[in-house]
Amino acid sequence: MWEQLSDFYLTYQSTFAYIGINALLAFSVYVSLSCGQLALGSAGFAAIGAYASALVTMKADLPFPVALAVGTLLPALVAVPLGLPVLRLKGIFLAIATIGFGEVVRLGLVNWEYVNGAQGIVAIPQKTSLWMIYLAVAVTLFVLWRLRGSKWGFALEAIREDEPAARTLGIPSTGYKLAMLVLGAALAGLAGALEAHFTFMVAPNGFGFSRVVDMLVYAVVGGAQGFWGPLAGAGFLTLLPELLRELAPLVGIEPGPLRMLVNGVVLLVVILFLPAGLMSLPRTLRERRAARRAAGAGGAAA
Amino acid sequence: MRLAGRITLSLAAASLLLTGSARAETVVKIGAALSLTGPAAAYGAQQKAGILAAVDEINKSGQLKGVKLEAVVEDDASTKEQGIAVFQRFINKDKVAAIIGPTLSNTATAADRLAQDAGVPVVAVSNTAPKGITDIGDYIWRVSLTEGQVIPGALKRLQGKLGFKKAGLLYGNDDAFTQAGYTVMKAATETMGLQVVGTQTFAKPDKDYTAQLTALLAAKPEILIVSALVENASGIVAQARQLGWQGPIFGGNGFNSPKLMANAGPAAEGVYVGTAWNKVSTDPANQAFLKAMAARKHEPDQFCAQSWTGVAVIAEAVKLSGKGGRDDVKAGFLKVKDLPTPLGHFSFLPNRDGNHEPALQVVKDGKFQIVP
Amino acid sequence: MGQQVINGLFLGSIYALFALGYTLVFGVLDILNLAHAAVFMVATFVAVALVGHGLHILLALPLAVLFAGLLGLVLERVAFRPLRARTDSNISGLISSLAAATIIEAVALEIWGPNITRFPFGTLPEGPANQLQLFGGTVSRLQLTIIAVAVLLVLALTWLVKGTRLGREVRAVAESPRAARVLGVNVDRAIAAAFFISSALGGAAGVLYGLAFNSISPDMGRGVELKGLAVIILGGMGSMPGAVLAGFALGLTEVFVVASLGGSWRDAISFAGLFLILLVRPRGLMGAAVTREA
Repeated sequence: MWEQLSDFYLTYQSTFAYIGINALLAFSVYVSLSCGQLALGSAGFAAIGAYASALVTMKADLPFPVALAVGTLLPALVAVPLGLPVLRLKGIFLAIATIGFGEVVRLGLVNWEYVNGAQGIVAIPQKTSLWMIYLAVAVTLFVLWRLRGSKWGFALEAIREDEPAARTLGIPSTGYKLAMLVLGAALAGLAGALEAHFTFMVAPNGFGFSRVVDMLVYAVVGGAQGFWGPLAGAGFLTLLPELLRELAPLVGIEPGPLRMLVNGVVLLVVILFLPAGLMSLPRTLRERRAARRAAGAGGAAA
Repeated sequence: MRLAGRITLSLAAASLLLTGSARAETVVKIGAALSLTGPAAAYGAQQKAGILAAVDEINKSGQLKGVKLEAVVEDDASTKEQGIAVFQRFINKDKVAAIIGPTLSNTATAADRLAQDAGVPVVAVSNTAPKGITDIGDYIWRVSLTEGQVIPGALKRLQGKLGFKKAGLLYGNDDAFTQAGYTVMKAATETMGLQVVGTQTFAKPDKDYTAQLTALLAAKPEILIVSALVENASGIVAQARQLGWQGPIFGGNGFNSPKLMANAGPAAEGVYVGTAWNKVSTDPANQAFLKAMAARKHEPDQFCAQSWTGVAVIAEAVKLSGKGGRDDVKAGFLKVKDLPTPLGHFSFLPNRDGNHEPALQVVKDGKFQIVP
Repeated sequence: MGQQVINGLFLGSIYALFALGYTLVFGVLDILNLAHAAVFMVATFVAVALVGHGLHILLALPLAVLFAGLLGLVLERVAFRPLRARTDSNISGLISSLAAATIIEAVALEIWGPNITRFPFGTLPEGPANQLQLFGGTVSRLQLTIIAVAVLLVLALTWLVKGTRLGREVRAVAESPRAARVLGVNVDRAIAAAFFISSALGGAAGVLYGLAFNSISPDMGRGVELKGLAVIILGGMGSMPGAVLAGFALGLTEVFVVASLGGSWRDAISFAGLFLILLVRPRGLMGAAVTREA
């Protein structure tokens, strides 16, 4: 019995770890979304964090906390000179600019011989444990929760709803947006550093356009309104391939394109019918039931 | 007396049944971690075909008395995240005796460590990165020759035949496989004293190489040396010919696929390929492989041949050690010597890398032919 | 040198065609349609299948383009129309288009497999006999045909948008859907038409791309989709002449970067350039100033 539990844990340990890592990445996109900014540079920030921390461990031979600190702070520093000009852009333009930033980082790494280009840095010792990842997630949740009801939270929401109006009310929107970008960069960098020391290696092709799209999807599917959303989205979408892996032989379907299809369909269904994300599912069901009851009562009365 | 007789009869029947089941086979599970979706899907598909065919043929032949091989195939979607998940499943849930794969070197550098730590032997059948695979530990073994084992010899032989002195180099710089190949090619040009008149790069998603080729051709090379996967290789070859290049083109392992001729057509004539698999070898092991794949209506490429060989090597290890446990397979690997495989006579090197004769091929009349 | 110019113009014409469809939808709906690359890909496979069944390419091309247009109509109805009323419709539209793209690519993967394929040999005449020497470089008849078709399509599109009633309606909707509706324009129909045209253009780009490079696979859109993004930004979102100009500009720039600095710099420079444009002149070469009516 103990052996079965231990086997179960070992089999799914990496899935649990990735739920946490993906949650951090989803949070990194979410914090900017919460003030209405579609900033998609997180893959680039995660790459910087991952590589910086890997170099600290491999070349400078410094302890893990130092590597994590560098991996978290360096992207945050980079976010400042990036954010100041870029946050002037609106909507889709900001998205494209930040995507461009991510690509430039990736291409830089591919062409940088010191870090072995496409082959990446290998044989990184595994120093990340599951509890570290979840501690980071818990701290992030705590911070976001505190922000919620505070002056910050109101300011962010005001900026998201109507930035020009918020400014007339005296809210320094650029400062808030920049702060969120920096926070997002730090979260992404931390996630990258944790991942690098979990999977023994880093390579540029893990930080491309499709990765940042994944992060956006985690945040949106989970629900970008409440701060639990990114965790829910990351959890659901990280588990989905493993769930399908279990189901596939039972239903007799091949893995592969099916998984891709299910991902796409889930995303489509959520965006069309559950725009506030999976987190809003209980509320939506409750509302629908209440509406049906009211219609029924009204019908009976008439 | 009749009751006693009936009891004896049932006891006899029962004991027959029991001995029958005692003679039942042990199942040796092999986990195949392959990229069946994502950018490496084309290779994963070839590998899957080779592995399933090999398992089938070996079981049918009965050469492993009382042992049945079973392949468990899972998709890692060409990502290291799922590669790790698949490895952990194989190790802890399916409890396989050995793992074949993963398809991509990058995934291997992440996932193989888990197998090493858990004491599960891994046979790499398509990882060609020089570092970070077999040096992970003594449970990681490799069947696929690195580019470093194939290219220098092939290139030297070619120079002996064609006598070129100036080379233009072109390689994909965003893929670990082709980048490693380039490093080897560059080193080979230095050893051979060739003058490199130009070096250009492209990225995997590219389809248009005319800018790079035009720049290279302007420097007047005598041979084009290309490190590319087959998707890019066929386009590169076709466009080079279209730009008027009639000279020799030399490619690495990535060129070794029937898709090269299928997609490039007549442009592929005269392309030289340094390769780990000689398709036209008359070696009986290769012929048996070709026959088995033809029966399954599957046109094999190098990845298919290497995966088949991976299974064959595991089977041999089981046979040599007499048992099918994880450490038995590992012990068996140490004893594998000159095993006949589609790749040739195979042994492991002391550092657990693969060893067999590589080949130099040329495309002639739409088919690969050996260059003596 | 002349050869590189030819290379650049050819590459540019393909970028331009791809970007045209992209920018049309953005101009009308303010949505980045990430499924454009998927339609691009499917049209090519359809054309290959038709040619494989014996149809001449001159027939297969318009049929594939028609198919692409119809697919665009389906996309609009299923993935975009339900979202139009939402306030965050450009983000949700982006994600919806991404979902559609994933589904289309998965289906293509299931039907046609992951391997690259090509048009059957002889679909278009190839080989040295069909090449011309121009300005010190080699051009194939195929390349000239593609450039010509691209130019023709651009002209046709310009006529459609400027000279027909449908075109005027689409432009009105792009300007302000509310005002357009008040003026009696059937907004739904105009948007559907825009999607049809945009996807048809994407499909045409795909078939030409497939004919040009013969490297067709379910993920073939990946390489072009980000470049397409750079092109529409450079040209100005919503501006069709801008997309064409920017397409050629990017094609030529890329080729010359490769020739002078080497292939590794090419994409880095494209994206760095994209970045700079966004900072210095977000509306691109010919875009309208970045304000929009609801």
